[in-house]
Amino acid sequence: MNHVNTSDWYDSLRRELESNSLSIEKVSRRSEYWRKSNLDIVSDFVQDTSQIDLSQLKGTCLFEPDLTVHGDIMKLGSEESKSVLSIMDVITDEESFAKNYFGRLEEKSQKLIPRPLARDNSLSPKVGYAISFSDSFKKPLVIHNRTKTSASNCFQRNLIVIKDDVEATIIETGNNLSVFNSVTEIYLGKNAKLNFLDLTGQNNIFPKISHKFCDLAENSTFNHFGLRLNTKATRTELELHLNGHGINTSIANVSLINKRDHFSDENVLINHNAYECKSRQVFKSVLENDCTSIVRGKIYVAPEAQKTDGYQSSRSLLLNDKSKFLCKPELEIYADDVICSHGSTSSSLDKESLFYLLSRGVRKDKAKEMLIAAFISEALDEIEDEDIKSALSHYIDNWTSSFFHE
Amino acid sequence: MLKIDNLKVSLEEEDKQIIKGLSLSINPGEVHAIMGPNGSGKSTLSSVLAGKDGYVVNNGTVKFDGSDLLDAEVEERAALGIFLAFQYPIEIPGVGNMNFLRTALNSQRKTRGQEELNAADFLKLVRSIAKDLEISDEMMKRPVNVGASGGEKKRNEILQMCLLEPRFVILDETDSGLDVDAMKLVSRGVNNFLSSSRSFLVITHYQRLLNYIVPDFVHIMVDGRIVKTGDKKLALHVEETGYKDFLQLGKEKH
Repeated sequence: MNHVNTSDWYDSLRRELESNSLSIEKVSRRSEYWRKSNLDIVSDFVQDTSQIDLSQLKGTCLFEPDLTVHGDIMKLGSEESKSVLSIMDVITDEESFAKNYFGRLEEKSQKLIPRPLARDNSLSPKVGYAISFSDSFKKPLVIHNRTKTSASNCFQRNLIVIKDDVEATIIETGNNLSVFNSVTEIYLGKNAKLNFLDLTGQNNIFPKISHKFCDLAENSTFNHFGLRLNTKATRTELELHLNGHGINTSIANVSLINKRDHFSDENVLINHNAYECKSRQVFKSVLENDCTSIVRGKIYVAPEAQKTDGYQSSRSLLLNDKSKFLCKPELEIYADDVICSHGSTSSSLDKESLFYLLSRGVRKDKAKEMLIAAFISEALDEIEDEDIKSALSHYIDNWTSSFFHE
Repeated sequence: MLKIDNLKVSLEEEDKQIIKGLSLSINPGEVHAIMGPNGSGKSTLSSVLAGKDGYVVNNGTVKFDGSDLLDAEVEERAALGIFLAFQYPIEIPGVGNMNFLRTALNSQRKTRGQEELNAADFLKLVRSIAKDLEISDEMMKRPVNVGASGGEKKRNEILQMCLLEPRFVILDETDSGLDVDAMKLVSRGVNNFLSSSRSFLVITHYQRLLNYIVPDFVHIMVDGRIVKTGDKKLALHVEETGYKDFLQLGKEKH
């Protein structure tokens, strides 16, 4: 139930979505999409947070926030964030730009894969942002989630619309201290470009699921980089629709997990619906202490999507015997003039490389750190902005040196 | 400086002895060459001295400056001043050459209780060594050995040697895969590095490297043992007659 006076368009949409919710397959071990996942994400997860001092939790906040999203409120910080609207204001506004966008991609996504948690979110959004970029932002917009709530679920709903020829970079980061379910719908106009960095840090001690659905118009670019540092149970569902020719997309993810039984679960579906589009997926997971990383990446190529170039690489470095990397690459191709490839490997640290570094006097923990950094560098190289890449790389190196030492 | 006494080594994964009672003593300032046919145990000896996994020492001792070398970790041996120039230097994608060199140098300095070298001093030092060895800036900027030719990789090994300034250097078939010009360049690097306080163990199949790096002692290794020791003339003899005379000596020693 919503306690705000929502607009007629939202009420009507909500009724429509609610009426066909029953047909969406629920989360269960029987579902192909949840079989291997950690169902903590949908359990009544309870953890005592009373002892946790929020001010001490810096998480992955290596960038100053422009916008802070608390459990139920949103605080604007910088000048750049002034054009950001609260999603709760948007769904009460009869004339909001959002009425042509809100819920459309979530609804479309259900046709291909059941996403029951995204539907729950559409029916009961609690907080979130709506941004319509009509001018390019000079600097990244940094959104910091600081959610600490006793509620068992925090539904964050976001909407990003990028007009034709506009470029933007969004960095989403922070800590959340509650079970977190977010849906972000993204629309890119012609020649538009969005770099999205989703940095989930070690202080995400609660399960988190984020959905991102993105519609792309011709010649647009969407680059998504995900970082998972010792996440308790994180699941990401990304679905991209490449609807015009000449679209370029890159999805990269680095998962570094060494806390016992922690977990990351990355799911990507890329729909090539148009001529001459390019998509890249690069996943790197470093796992220790019986942790699990799942990567499920599918490239769908429609009959009209000739000259598609689709690439997927998912690799893991397993630092102990019981850690698991579960990878399911899928290609579904209906066009005949395409290049699509996928590769997946799991290995331990290369002994020859380690010996070479040690034989030059590099300390063992440092050598291990250097090889981990080398392993993930292919994914970091997907980040175009050198300043952001360098800041992240430095941050990850520091983190690795404190967590992966012997 | 280095004293090996009746060393016996087998492979960890199979019950096969490779080094079968080897003794060798190397003093400061000496250059020793070990020659021998394929499979005689030369590279195993270099790996055991550097501390590589996969070998079991069944018997014998190796003392370096009087203390037991076999007890030390790989990186500790490097800090003690032992350097192995690899027969096949590996490529490490993603690890920048400069970052690797600086980390290695400063790790060793730290272990020895010396101050770390700052970025500017390090750059100056590494550039001057690279220039002597005709190693391009482009090569220095690449990840370790990635995309390098055989000759470039060997020169990179010699650069590391000059930078890290070890006291005991093992050159494991450094001449393999080198053309004459590259061999001269590498040998020049080594010869410039010779000093009365440093020792070398040069492992090679062929005499030709010893034309450039002149040994004080030449040892012939057959079937896991040193069967003959002499001066540089012994290498010339091998060049003429091959190892067949020595193979018999190996059998007699059993």
